[in-house]
Amino acid sequence: MRNYEIMFIVHPNTTDEDLDKINTQIEAVITAGGGQITKIEKMGKRRLAYEIDRNREGIYVLFAISANGEIVKECERRLRVLDAVIKYITVCTDEEDRRFNKIKSYRQKRAARRGSGSRSAAAELPEQLADDAI
Amino acid sequence: MAQQKQYYRRKKVCKFCVERIDAINYKDVKLLSQFIPERAKIMPRRISGVCSPHQRRLNEAIKMARNIALLPFTSE
Repeated sequence: MRNYEIMFIVHPNTTDEDLDKINTQIEAVITAGGGQITKIEKMGKRRLAYEIDRNREGIYVLFAISANGEIVKECERRLRVLDAVIKYITVCTDEEDRRFNKIKSYRQKRAARRGSGSRSAAAELPEQLADDAI
Repeated sequence: MAQQKQYYRRKKVCKFCVERIDAINYKDVKLLSQFIPERAKIMPRRISGVCSPHQRRLNEAIKMARNIALLPFTSE
């Protein structure tokens, strides 16, 4: 199981009911395959940075899931088939999460070490900024 | 001292290192759009001063964001 983010853009004229229908469809695909959904976020209508099929706007939806490759493959197939969906992207977030946690734990460890000493962690940042100003 | 700088130039610093921004995410349009000038190209390191590990991740994030129409490929 890996963590993925699936983001897709729905046609701006889609009604709320249709949007929910699409969402439940994707949900069903994921849960049927044994995946888990961590988050569904409707990001609402946004201006697109460039035209897609003559649309200047789109409704963004974000799914955060943990699933295997087959489920993702099936989700992508569904998204391709649906006419209302104009674009989608799937991103594997595992590596990014790992890196983020690593940095975070490193920072914490460092802060703890500094906290036990005479210098506090807060003193570190202004010092660095002062260096840059020279 | 053949060449003496006439003007003082402020040393560039990596924004991500200084402000301790850990996550460079493709959804963070506000952050990424600081690194795309008018023509919507990716700002080179020599101008923005971003360090190379961060620039690499910034590149990836911008390209992902372009794919999903959060950022433009070009602007007219």
